[in-house]
Amino acid sequence: MNPEFVRNLWLEATPFRLALITGILLLAFAASSTLTGFGSTHGVALALYWFFVVLWGTRSAALAVVGEIRERTWDSQKLSAIGPVEMVWGKLFGATIHNWFGGLICLPVILAPLWQDGWAACLTYGVILLVMGVFAQSVALLSSLVLIRRQTGNWRLDTFLCQVAGVLTATAFYSPWSSQNAFLRSNDINLVWWGHDFGLGNFQLVSLLLFTAWALIGCWRAMRSELRFANGPFVWLGWLAFISLFDAGFWNLIESRAGDRLTVHGAVLPLGLAWVALLASGYGMAFLEPKDPVRLRWLVEQVQAGRITRALLALDSWMLSYGAAVAMGLLLAVLLVLQGSALGLAAIAMLGFFTRDIAIFVLMRMLAGGKGDFAAVAVLAALYLLVPLILHGSPATALVVPLTPSGAMLSVLSGWAQGIGVAFWVTRSIRCHFYA
Amino acid sequence: MIEVRDLVFEYPGHRALHGISLSVAQGAITALVGPNGAGKTTLLRCMAALETPYGGSVAIDGLDTREAPRAIHSRLGYLPDFFGLYDALSVRRCLHYAARAHGIAPGHAAEAAKAAAVRVGLQDRMEQPAGALSRGLRQRLAIGQAIVHQPRVLLLDEPAAGLDPQARRDLSELLLSLKAGGMTLVVSSHILAELQDYSDRMIIVDHGRIAGGETISLHDAASRLRIVLAAPRGDLAQVLTGQGAQVFLAGDDSALITLSGGTAERAELLAALVRAGFAVAEFAEEKADLEDVYFSKVRT
Repeated sequence: MNPEFVRNLWLEATPFRLALITGILLLAFAASSTLTGFGSTHGVALALYWFFVVLWGTRSAALAVVGEIRERTWDSQKLSAIGPVEMVWGKLFGATIHNWFGGLICLPVILAPLWQDGWAACLTYGVILLVMGVFAQSVALLSSLVLIRRQTGNWRLDTFLCQVAGVLTATAFYSPWSSQNAFLRSNDINLVWWGHDFGLGNFQLVSLLLFTAWALIGCWRAMRSELRFANGPFVWLGWLAFISLFDAGFWNLIESRAGDRLTVHGAVLPLGLAWVALLASGYGMAFLEPKDPVRLRWLVEQVQAGRITRALLALDSWMLSYGAAVAMGLLLAVLLVLQGSALGLAAIAMLGFFTRDIAIFVLMRMLAGGKGDFAAVAVLAALYLLVPLILHGSPATALVVPLTPSGAMLSVLSGWAQGIGVAFWVTRSIRCHFYA
Repeated sequence: MIEVRDLVFEYPGHRALHGISLSVAQGAITALVGPNGAGKTTLLRCMAALETPYGGSVAIDGLDTREAPRAIHSRLGYLPDFFGLYDALSVRRCLHYAARAHGIAPGHAAEAAKAAAVRVGLQDRMEQPAGALSRGLRQRLAIGQAIVHQPRVLLLDEPAAGLDPQARRDLSELLLSLKAGGMTLVVSSHILAELQDYSDRMIIVDHGRIAGGETISLHDAASRLRIVLAAPRGDLAQVLTGQGAQVFLAGDDSALITLSGGTAERAELLAALVRAGFAVAEFAEEKADLEDVYFSKVRT
């Protein structure tokens, strides 16, 4: 058996802990039955499942790696022969084994009332709960693998942030099944995606499965990096393609809601939605990834030495997201211009501001070290919120906000001037960021 | 066994290693010494393929750390300066996990764990939790975990830090026994006295460079002669050099030299000194004093 899983079993599934969890859960069910009758016990069980698997489970999953670093055992693990797949599932299910133990005790109590609606409903709801737990925990583990690259040294904050990421993503999917009644009615609402009708519940379930698969792939890829395997760009590009297609599929929804107010047509709307997903990915990864200036200089030197393939294979995720967002933005701008829409210029301006913003993240990392990402967020908040407030609707607002109805050309010129200016500053800093 | 060529490593805003080149011979214990912050740990981590160098290369057993880090991991054991153990696990389980994690088949893991425990002298404490062991025994367990897969190379970063004198002596004996078993060891430390007991060679790292630019053989240093005069004379170094000796350290009343040849050459040098009117009070072979070697190199 996977040695990492076995080690976690030894540490986390001690007989005392399992007996304690069993005892507390049985007492909780008994107390609930006594106070409100057995009919409402499934609600208590659902809350306890949520506590064990999602709330506590995400913490255990985040600590699976952060805890190793804290206890100084991570180097030994990185030197082991355990592969990335084994390491991921060994940690994901091993470090959370006590959480799953508690969750699995709750599960029959949750599902018992659904039996009267047929075994299929019972099975589906059970699968939803199990997958949601795996999803939340894998997002927490993935977040921890991303955060440890930043080497903050603050394990408590890192663990908390990963836990929050896991809980929030699970909660985002939870709404249509928040109670058994909601679950049974979840397919009464229809959702149009890429022109096809889907029951909301079914659509959410398939989406949950797909996003869980991507979270697990993300864990595997991040673990490969930790274990010193080389990661190419293809998995990240695959993810970008997935979220672009997923997001773009909701264009019918936008179209039906906007009605006659919509001035664009054809492929513009799905491309626009895909672009939003890529922009979000660019901003997100620019914030999360380390942006190590030494690595950036190494990449520049590889390009200058003509080792383009080596450089391309070593690109960080934020660079790939930036490239994909720029490519999609340019395509969108061309389509909009061809349709005679003024939004074409706004898209070009947006790309300029996007370039500036990403460059600000890199620059702040160089100027302010590990806290540079938060400094970058503060700078961007000031640029997008405070400066427009001060300008108070004057034509000069186009200098700082890309999507103003008038002054689009001013936005284009301003956005790209700022983008190129900050990028140039970054390039100079990379060259000057030499050793003491 | 280990070849480092023009190794450059940078942290943001700080170059830790400035084009280091060195070779580590197979089956030897090489001491890596230098002041705190000299770059010893970074160098060891680069050797262990835990860090990617900015420039240059590191090859372990012919494999490049950049090209085949995982293959290198299977060939080496590494004990970091601040290591951790799974305190709640017994010694047996710690070693068993280490064996399995290093790819030893389930059927052989128990045997490998037991063999490692015997090598580090923990066979009587197999059921004791790691958290209940003393500092010295924890060190032994950590080394046991690092060697459970019988690596060809063992890298130890400050292994004697915090150990009492008895535990240090035990550690020296353990390292010598590992060397006798054919293992190549690189031991980093800034405590020179302990290295003297087991090292064959010494590499001095200072400000990210190799001081003196070479690996120092401690066997050569062991054949040095110490000369002490009853009455100081300022021309001692000059006369010794004139007699063909290589002067390592020299003052008016003492000198540390190496002399090629055997006992006849030594007798001839002694006679020459007496003829030249030096009041020779001591003329004896001296065991290597790493501090002298270290400070002479760091000064240069």
